[in-house]
Amino acid sequence: MSTSNGEPLAVELRNVDKAFYGVKANDNVSFELARGEVHALLGENGAGKSTLCSILAGLYRPDAGEMWFEGKPALFKTPKDALAAGVGMVYQHFRLVSNLTVAENLALGHHDQGVRLDQKELARAAEELGERYDLAVDPTARIWQLSVGEQQRVEILKLLYRDAKILILDEPTAVLTPQEGQALFKTMRQLAGEGRSIIFVSHKLDEVKQVSDRVTVLRNGKTVGGVATKDADARELARMMVGRDLELPTRSASAPPGEVMFSVSDVRVLSDRGLEAVRGVSFEVRAGEIVGIAGVSGNGQRELAQGLVGLRRLTAGRVEIDGEDVTSDTVLERIDKGLAYVPQSRLGMGLAPGLTTEENLALKAFRRPPYSRGRTLVASAFRDEGARQIEQYDIRGVRPGLPIRLLSGGNLQKALLAREVELEPKVLILRSPTRGLDVGATEAVRNQILAEGVRGTAVLLISEDLDELMALADRLLVIYEGEIVGEMQTEEATSERLGLLMAGQRVEESA
Amino acid sequence: MSTRRLIVEPRGLASTRLKLLVPVASVIAALIVAGIFLLLTGESPVEVYAKMLDASFGSQRGIAETMISATPLILTGVAAAIAFKMQVWNIGGEGQFLMGAIFSAGIAIWLGDGFPATVMIPAVVIAGGLGGAFWAAVSAIPRVYLGTNEIITTLMLNFIAINFVNFLIFGSSSPWRDSAVATFPTGRPIPDAARLPEFFFRLDVGIFIAIVLAIIAWYLMGKTRWGFAVRVAGDSTDTARYAGISVPRKILGVFLLSGAFAGFAGGLFVSGPVGALDPRSLILNLGFTGIIVAALARLNLIAIIPVAVLMGALNNSGPALQSIGVPTATVSMLQGAILLFAVAGEFLIENRIRRPESVTVAANPEPETA
Repeated sequence: MSTSNGEPLAVELRNVDKAFYGVKANDNVSFELARGEVHALLGENGAGKSTLCSILAGLYRPDAGEMWFEGKPALFKTPKDALAAGVGMVYQHFRLVSNLTVAENLALGHHDQGVRLDQKELARAAEELGERYDLAVDPTARIWQLSVGEQQRVEILKLLYRDAKILILDEPTAVLTPQEGQALFKTMRQLAGEGRSIIFVSHKLDEVKQVSDRVTVLRNGKTVGGVATKDADARELARMMVGRDLELPTRSASAPPGEVMFSVSDVRVLSDRGLEAVRGVSFEVRAGEIVGIAGVSGNGQRELAQGLVGLRRLTAGRVEIDGEDVTSDTVLERIDKGLAYVPQSRLGMGLAPGLTTEENLALKAFRRPPYSRGRTLVASAFRDEGARQIEQYDIRGVRPGLPIRLLSGGNLQKALLAREVELEPKVLILRSPTRGLDVGATEAVRNQILAEGVRGTAVLLISEDLDELMALADRLLVIYEGEIVGEMQTEEATSERLGLLMAGQRVEESA
Repeated sequence: MSTRRLIVEPRGLASTRLKLLVPVASVIAALIVAGIFLLLTGESPVEVYAKMLDASFGSQRGIAETMISATPLILTGVAAAIAFKMQVWNIGGEGQFLMGAIFSAGIAIWLGDGFPATVMIPAVVIAGGLGGAFWAAVSAIPRVYLGTNEIITTLMLNFIAINFVNFLIFGSSSPWRDSAVATFPTGRPIPDAARLPEFFFRLDVGIFIAIVLAIIAWYLMGKTRWGFAVRVAGDSTDTARYAGISVPRKILGVFLLSGAFAGFAGGLFVSGPVGALDPRSLILNLGFTGIIVAALARLNLIAIIPVAVLMGALNNSGPALQSIGVPTATVSMLQGAILLFAVAGEFLIENRIRRPESVTVAANPEPETA
């Protein structure tokens, strides 16, 4: 198989199947990658993009199908095989050793250089590659000292150091500011210009339009189609991706917010390492108002949220719910005073994975009627309340006795949010509520958040997804290194302006 | 190139039938494996198993003895199961059992002859629970407040308890030792009022107390607010903290309750069949066997009752084997084999193994034209 000009394709997959737990993640997928192109792999979460990439990178072996590499049949048994053949992947979760330097990470797994590690030579190579491809990082820095964007550059440098011909980037822009994203695109184009091929995984249409030569769309594990990007129409791509026309809900002109319901002043919180992760944050959220906190992951969002709900001690500051000081209250006391929280980690914190959906829906309210009478649980309430909420919030896939961890991400989040909303909270804090969800579930979750605003809840939405923040929030704050570095009404916000703030550049306010 | 490997994948929700089938199959598989060993040592497995069955269930007296053996195993099984459900690895049932026995015998001897059975029996049962809980607390408090590993501490405390019992009887002239017998040191018999009434051969009412206590444990874990919070904390400590559940207090509570159940077993054994703190009648690995019972019952607090009867039958049949020249250790081997198969069977409950549908990877040397 070859392209029209007779040159063999860099990679070709034919009729590949891969199932996990009986669910087909890739179902008869075919994919062609030409030399020197940026090929976007577009699809919703769970469409099978990551599985396809992992097969190419040798991490998974397909259940069935064929794989051709530079015109010859091939099968990579391990990522090492793949890398030896010139195929490398940058995973969403970086594979770096955080206590080693950048240069040392480049050398990892590279066995053909003798016993001695030539640090100077490595550093020189890292610097040279970094300069050539606009991927500058200090080769002597240790990984944990780097920002997420810099760590990503190290991952790409690792592949270039091995002279990878095919680079697979799995949702690389998810952790970047818009500006960092643009810089990455420039590097990608440069690499493609040298004849390397790049697979760019994304679910963001505008990025795909901007950087790629061709697009392959996956949906429910199947290839829906492949088109040249210049011929592709954004609406058409969206329809291919989702399978129907869809407009995600956005806030409408909101009613004027009410009283101050949630007040946070000069809050300071330590990280697990004992460093100050939140450094004097203050803000207010009024009843019926949705306030967004934008920021690149790892700028204190986790510590802030945990501090506010009582899971992490505040070293300073004050938190008030509806005028009442809750700073020294326990988690339970804050729940009872009307504080609801949707954490980022659904199965790690928000839900008890081994318990049933009904039990999880009662996870916070089990101490009071109807779930318990005195110290005794009321089984019928678990069943009836559970059935009502499963129906009302459209939680699918529930079977009696089934542990909740077996539900899909979207249904997990619907259940989690249902439980928090059912508490009829005064304050609702959410972290990245639609992360990893498909479009249908995203729609349901967004609608639920908007409905809470209408109901009069003070909503604090902490997210890394700018589209989501701009669609839902009335007002936006930007967090950078544990401080609020900007505040604006959503109408005044642009992704450029937010991006600069998220990258720590204070913008001159023009009056 | 083609690959033909079996595919292992999580099953999701196992059917009730499967959950019943796997433990039964584990027992059968263990009988077969042990049967091969018996054949290799020149015994007839059929004859040995027939003898065991006859000894345990073949006569009314045998049934009574089986139930006597089952009584402490129900409670040590419950002790292990409630701890394991909470991911508290209390393997100190043996020591907590013995400490319960020491407390029970101690209170009975201390109270002496002046009290009626209505005082004495509740006193020995409660003292047994307190003794077990006390011994569990020695591991539980450092576990909760200092993060020590309870597997190590509970295991070590078993040996301390075993040696302490031996010391009380063989190494000292403690109140537990029978001063009337000068020849060989034995435990001092507890007052008759503290003995559980027998109603069927040697079988005493301890069996009913054990079953009632197991049902109480089941109710506590499954039907109360406290039990729900424990289940959440056992499933995920982060989730429990998030839901406002105090995890350290739940761990402490479960740990002490677990110890108390092992202690109840010790108390019932002292006030039932043994009647004294007698090392030779008490140090029978009943605490350790409780772990096997809990595992085989898949931590189901009600299923523990029949499983304990099975294990009691096995224990009870050991001496009968000696009469046909087969070592008693055969019983331990069988119990070990059953545990191994039950643990392996757990894997089949959680996972399904299937053949891949025809798999060929890049098998076609001649590319088709698209």
